[in-house]
Amino acid sequence: MELYRMTAAELSRMLAEKKVSSKEITQSVLARIADNDRKIKAYLTVDAEGALRQAETVDKKRMKGEALPPLAGIPVAIKDNICTRGLRTTCASRMLENFVPPYDATVIQKLKAAGVVFPGKLNMDEFAMGSSTENSYFQVTCNPFDTDRVPGGSSGGSAAAVAACETIAALGSDTGGSIRQPASFCGIVGLKPTYGAVSRYGLVAFASSLDQIGPMARSVADTAMLCDVIFGKDSHDTTSADRGYPSFAEALRPEVKGLKIGIPKEYFSDGISEAVKEAVMRAAKEYQKMGAELVEISLPSTDYALAAYYIIASAEASSNLARFDGVKYGHRSENYGSLEELYENSRSEGFGPEVKRRIMLGTYVLSSGYYDAYYKKAKFTQLMIQERFKQAFAACDLILTPTTPDTAFKIGENIGDQIKMYMNDILTVTVNIAGLPAISIPCAFDSKGLPIGAQLIGAKFSEQILLNAAAALEKQLGGFGRCAALA
Amino acid sequence: MDMDLKRLAKLSRLKFTPEEEARYQAEMERIVAMVEKLPDLDASGPLIDPDNPMSMREDKSERLFSRDELLKNAPEVQAGCVVVPRTVE
Amino acid sequence: MEHKGYEVVIGLEVHAELNTESKIYCSCKNEFGLEVNTQCCPICMGMPGTLPTLNKKVVEYAARMGYALNCSINRVCKQDRKNYFYPDLPKAYQISQYDIPLCEHGYLDILVDGEERRIGVTRIHIEEDAGKLIHDDSFSGTLVDFNRCGVPLIEIVSEPDLRSSKEAKAYLDTIRAILIYLGISDGKMQEGSIRCDINVSVHRPGEPFGQRTEMKNVNTFSGAVRAIEYEAARQIELLESGGVISQETRRWDDAKGQNTLLRSKENAEDYRYFPEPDLSTIVLEQAVLDAIKASIPELPNKKLVRYMREFALPEEDARLLVEQMDKAAYFEELTALGKIKPKSASNWILGDISRLTNETGKTVPELGLPAERLAELIAMAETNRISSSAAKAVLEEMLKTGRPAEAIVAEKGLEQVSDTSALQTIVDEVVANNQKSLDDYRNGKTNALGFLVGQCMKASKGKGNPALMKEMLLKILQQ
Repeated sequence: MELYRMTAAELSRMLAEKKVSSKEITQSVLARIADNDRKIKAYLTVDAEGALRQAETVDKKRMKGEALPPLAGIPVAIKDNICTRGLRTTCASRMLENFVPPYDATVIQKLKAAGVVFPGKLNMDEFAMGSSTENSYFQVTCNPFDTDRVPGGSSGGSAAAVAACETIAALGSDTGGSIRQPASFCGIVGLKPTYGAVSRYGLVAFASSLDQIGPMARSVADTAMLCDVIFGKDSHDTTSADRGYPSFAEALRPEVKGLKIGIPKEYFSDGISEAVKEAVMRAAKEYQKMGAELVEISLPSTDYALAAYYIIASAEASSNLARFDGVKYGHRSENYGSLEELYENSRSEGFGPEVKRRIMLGTYVLSSGYYDAYYKKAKFTQLMIQERFKQAFAACDLILTPTTPDTAFKIGENIGDQIKMYMNDILTVTVNIAGLPAISIPCAFDSKGLPIGAQLIGAKFSEQILLNAAAALEKQLGGFGRCAALA
Repeated sequence: MDMDLKRLAKLSRLKFTPEEEARYQAEMERIVAMVEKLPDLDASGPLIDPDNPMSMREDKSERLFSRDELLKNAPEVQAGCVVVPRTVE
Repeated sequence: MEHKGYEVVIGLEVHAELNTESKIYCSCKNEFGLEVNTQCCPICMGMPGTLPTLNKKVVEYAARMGYALNCSINRVCKQDRKNYFYPDLPKAYQISQYDIPLCEHGYLDILVDGEERRIGVTRIHIEEDAGKLIHDDSFSGTLVDFNRCGVPLIEIVSEPDLRSSKEAKAYLDTIRAILIYLGISDGKMQEGSIRCDINVSVHRPGEPFGQRTEMKNVNTFSGAVRAIEYEAARQIELLESGGVISQETRRWDDAKGQNTLLRSKENAEDYRYFPEPDLSTIVLEQAVLDAIKASIPELPNKKLVRYMREFALPEEDARLLVEQMDKAAYFEELTALGKIKPKSASNWILGDISRLTNETGKTVPELGLPAERLAELIAMAETNRISSSAAKAVLEEMLKTGRPAEAIVAEKGLEQVSDTSALQTIVDEVVANNQKSLDDYRNGKTNALGFLVGQCMKASKGKGNPALMKEMLLKILQQ
């Protein structure tokens, strides 16, 4: 099998046994990108030179007999809203077309220290706002399972690159489902960590109270390996949790025996396609077979979470994106006389329509006279939802739901209908609103051959249980296996 | 619905053509209708989370960045400063 | 100032920069006057992806001020974003505190015309300063310097309890003195360490408060006085001519001595405050707060009143003494010895000691003159054992050599002669040799007495007690 198709766990073993070098792996991945990305369009920036240099450094250390971390020498591509010092970070926006950060995000520093190789930066919906990656200023990424379809979003570049074997694994970010939904559409594993588990320092903020960086990979084991590197308290992020994490990869056991898995009826409503409902219920039955107990639970209406999500996320976004004013960095219009014109023209030219809608919505819900009815009420709704999840986790260890209402849709299909597009997030946003961890794991294919994802939701900081349960399903179903058919 | 799109655009420092304005007004009204589906609950009292205390930074200074690095992305620089149109008469 | 029977109502918002080592939300140095854009980093420049971390000392300093102004401290509080666009605000929002400030419900006692007035302090909150805009005639644009971005500020908001520009000035002076006493701000007006916004309204006594206006860009305390007088006069004139005051923000131009409309109510900014999601809750331990409270020294406004009551010092002397903590401490040390009159101690500190600290740039302790030593010297002058000119010379010598006054006076033979029989001889001799001056005096030229005293001093080689000799001369002259 080609190196680029292997998992990080497999490559890590081969590297440790010196059966392969990081340079060979990196060259293999770079060749795959050169060969395949014309079709997929997952990458915004490919840093072949930098990647090879990193690979050679790791190889030299290994030759000298240095003890290296498990991911040393393995290519991991990065969503383009995570700052990389000296490497363009665009957020897929015209606004940041030429922005080169002067610093590394904390997760980048950690991955560098772990010897990880960065092949490049991945496409996304502009400023992580969207569910199809069609909101990128630069290009539309295609779903590797059907290039007429979207890869999901906003981490669509990450999901597509992983699924198309154009990287071994990737980092994405998830504010309302931006890791899980594209993972589901592309048949890969994607984990959204507990809020506060991973530092947000260097992640270009969309909604500060909801954003989390997380791993996307072709196996649960690879996902766990990435968690081991990126989790942890960061003194640069006061919202990062002050706690330690034992190795998820070492503790990984594909087991669910004795676990209570909650099935919330609100997440299997009429809006969810039959194929998806059936596939997830089959996964539930698999869990039962493996010794888990299924319990029916009740959660607040998904409509409430969706409304609260769009209010809170947009409010924070309107403030977070105000700094893009054409003054210090980013796009500056060529057409201005006054300061006001500089602001308005730079921002109007620099942002795409979806970003503008969210900024306007956020401005609206925070503005004088509307704050109490929208923003404040949404925050209290958030508290109510958090409370209900706490109650739910008294009755079960995990919650199983579909990740998305349906499989990947066609490029252009939802572009004019925001509400339809937003409904893609209906099953994922609650997790962000509640600050919980969740993982999307491929569980079936529909009649069109498109992947279906199952979502497992855990209590705060229960990532190990999530990973174990995901690994159990992966073992039962055979894991990521359709990539070979895509070449 | 009493959404004043012009005022929101002004506050957001965004500019729309009349055609865009009509389109955004319609789109925004649908979106606002969606986010109005909030439950009926008591939303009085301050928004503060006492169970989530913050660890604070010690008062120590360090200098890690050069001016050139920090101004490299600036659209216009003169005399070590970012340049904007005149702000006062 | 005459206000045509109107009462002027003033509320102040004072912004004071705190003198921490680092900025409020990043580790850049908090220092004034360095080269443009050299004290910044991705955080204070608002680069994408950066996050703030709160400097603990800022909270402690603000709590100190809170206790000094008799506030209750909110042990659990938060920070909020104030959103607006301006080139000196890189994130396009200022991190501040909105509905739950660190300190609230306090007061400050100020002394105006010998009377104590209690001014309510609504709140004190922490926030970040903005950068600086540089305008130059040689250049059509505006330059932005981000060095000041993230310098820690406290905003102290008063109740509308002030009734004149004089009271406002006293309030500002007192705030400044307290900031310096607490060691939390250097109070340098010329560096913009303290700035204020002023709310002014006028009304007829007995009637409800009038509509207030807000004035910005007031950078000195004397400017505050001028700004208040101008605005009060403007409002009164407007009312007298049948106009109405509208709720608006005006900009003070100190050079022109007038203000202009900045924005009307219709154009009022909508700051869209909301809780800062990048920072968790500020939760202070009671023990930490108790320690801060216990560390508050006696404050200058309280000292001032005490000095006037306890030591019977004139207000001006007391004010000058309490202005600097080292001088006040020295004064208290001197008086505590119980050997000299408080007024003499005050005179010496405000006279020679202040001259010396000014000349050398040293603080009082740095002069190296223990209070006991100075008290000895002052006591000798008080009892006329040495003359005032001799005392000055002894002081210089004490500072130079560190020797006690007693030894210097003995060695140099500076002790005044107060033995009347010895002095009578000198006086008689001077009278005998200066018949013309005697005649002059008796003809009404009273300043001839001074000349005769001088002659006596000269004849006594400076050691004669001038008061005694003057008395003796008068006795002869009035015969």
